[in-house]
Amino acid sequence: MADSSNTPKAPSTLPFSFVPQEPETVVENNPHAKASSQVGDVMDALKSHLGDDFHELVVYAGEHTARVSHSRIIDTCTFLKDEKGFKYLADLGGIDRFTEDDRYEIYYNLVNIEDGKRLRIVIRIDEESMTAQTVTNLYPAANWNERECYDMFGIRFEGHPDLRRMYMPEDFEYYPLRKEFPLLGVPGSLPLPPQAPTGDLTEDPFPAAHGHKPPQSFEEVKSEEDND
Amino acid sequence: MSSISQTDWTETLKFWPRHNEALYKRLETKHSWLETSGDGAPPDPLEHEMVLNIGPQHPATHGVLRCVVKLDGETIEKSVLDIGYLHRGVEKIAENKTYQEFMPYTDRMDYLQPYANNVAWCLAVEKLARVDVPERAQWIRMMMAELARISSHLIWMGVGLMDAGAVSVFLWTWQFREDIYSIFDEVAGARLTVSHSRIGGVATDLNDTGIGMIQKFADSFPEAIASWEKLLNRNRIWIDRNVGIGHLTAEQVVAMGMTGPNLRGSGVAHDIRRFEPYLKYDEVDFIIPIRTEGDALARYFVRLDEMKESVKIIQQCLAKLKTVKGPVRTDDAKRSYPNKDEVYYSMEGLIHDFMYTDTGVAPPKGAAAYSAIEASKGELGFYLQSDGTGNPWRARMNSPSFTNLQGLEHMLEGAHMGDLVILIGTIDPVLGEADK
Repeated sequence: MADSSNTPKAPSTLPFSFVPQEPETVVENNPHAKASSQVGDVMDALKSHLGDDFHELVVYAGEHTARVSHSRIIDTCTFLKDEKGFKYLADLGGIDRFTEDDRYEIYYNLVNIEDGKRLRIVIRIDEESMTAQTVTNLYPAANWNERECYDMFGIRFEGHPDLRRMYMPEDFEYYPLRKEFPLLGVPGSLPLPPQAPTGDLTEDPFPAAHGHKPPQSFEEVKSEEDND
Repeated sequence: MSSISQTDWTETLKFWPRHNEALYKRLETKHSWLETSGDGAPPDPLEHEMVLNIGPQHPATHGVLRCVVKLDGETIEKSVLDIGYLHRGVEKIAENKTYQEFMPYTDRMDYLQPYANNVAWCLAVEKLARVDVPERAQWIRMMMAELARISSHLIWMGVGLMDAGAVSVFLWTWQFREDIYSIFDEVAGARLTVSHSRIGGVATDLNDTGIGMIQKFADSFPEAIASWEKLLNRNRIWIDRNVGIGHLTAEQVVAMGMTGPNLRGSGVAHDIRRFEPYLKYDEVDFIIPIRTEGDALARYFVRLDEMKESVKIIQQCLAKLKTVKGPVRTDDAKRSYPNKDEVYYSMEGLIHDFMYTDTGVAPPKGAAAYSAIEASKGELGFYLQSDGTGNPWRARMNSPSFTNLQGLEHMLEGAHMGDLVILIGTIDPVLGEADK
């Protein structure tokens, strides 16, 4: 009992703060689970096709999510499209896991219209290279979604025909959906048009928050000619 | 032609120079699929090529859509769409809100049918957090979402015809949209930004006035559709403006990932209401209109027939609501707001209300789910990931307007300049949703 003073005390939790719980027991019988997401046989076929590159299979709310190696994503999509009939790409998007290794993920939401099936493929992006292979050759629908993913997370897609930013202007230098990007934005990152015809760009999107008072409409703004 | 690449945009434009440079460079380097005047034809002595910006501030672009087109005479040779002028970053906002707090933001995404967006968000959260919804609430949601579909299609129809030059139809459709606004006002307390759905049910039950208004609307609306059909289905101008333009085959729409009436207008039978029935869609009798022509006219017929089917669904919901009684929100304080009577008259109710506002529903850590509904524009889905707290770790929105606009870029190439506004109308985009 002598060395009990050396052991650090367990951090106390504040009585009124909310502490995230570890996952409960496996949630079953989800009333919202759909018959379309029962794709166990497709997942088995994919697993035998990919071998060790099929990392894990997560089932939640009846939905199957397969995590595969990012180097085999073209192979995976070709297999699913040509042999299993998943010809329709419903959605593609990025995920930022922030504190984990290989923090960026991309998920592919694929649909088989004829058989009425839907599944999800997830790949993890190597943080060093920050690139993924494009699937636009298989699914032209991925074009804008991949641009959006590049715009929001900075993941580059090798072989993409037109990798420009989707929403933000090219002049913007940040990736807003990364977890470290502040909710209020970065002052000066998005210049606004000048407030007077000959004036400078407004560099701060939130001038009032930083103590700046923009000229009011009833005030006459001096133009360059007045200064001469 | 070469003048574009030589323009120094940093000199010409102070504001977003690199953005415009990249946009015009894309237009310049994009492969043109149009066949040129043929081998051996003499070169065009006049330079007919012109680069034209339509939008972002243009009434016919249905929002802040910017179409940069390269014209060869009257024909659009290449087109590049630029969206993002209404980008508010709702996905980022959602990560910093509780699940219930985000609801009013969904009203403002597809602002032509806010109720359907509320329902889509609620269903996604309920799937993620495994919340049961009382049966009556599901019927109410379904009925109101169908009303929202009608109101969205009414805008599409009125504005689409106004684009074609018929202003009076806009006023007629608006009359019925006004009726739907009044219904929402009576049921939810707001005309446009309803936020009536709640996680685990709906905010309030319908009263007799609301039921009566919906019944009156459902009874009178088919007559109006019939009169519009009489006007339009044999209208030479309307048919000629729409037939054969913006043609897409079934393979093309599937490849480009288009959704909603744009998919079904090309003969692909895909509707989320049948594909993965949510709410009570597997218990009502309705058909999903499909056309195989794949042109703008086919999409017009699909949407018109969808409105008729929506009325059928609303009638069945009204009949069902007479027998299905009970609570409209789940009685589980950890997953849904408590009843207001409890909040005002009991201590536990007040605490639960406070806790639900502060933290809200907390799905298990690591849970991820995707839930989609068939909105008026197509598949509107939310992909949610939880980290065990009351805020979503990742909230991704799969918006139909975004996916459909991608197809518009292809549709415009080869079309005539005069058909551009019709083609934008036939896609039926809402930029509030496409720009997130």
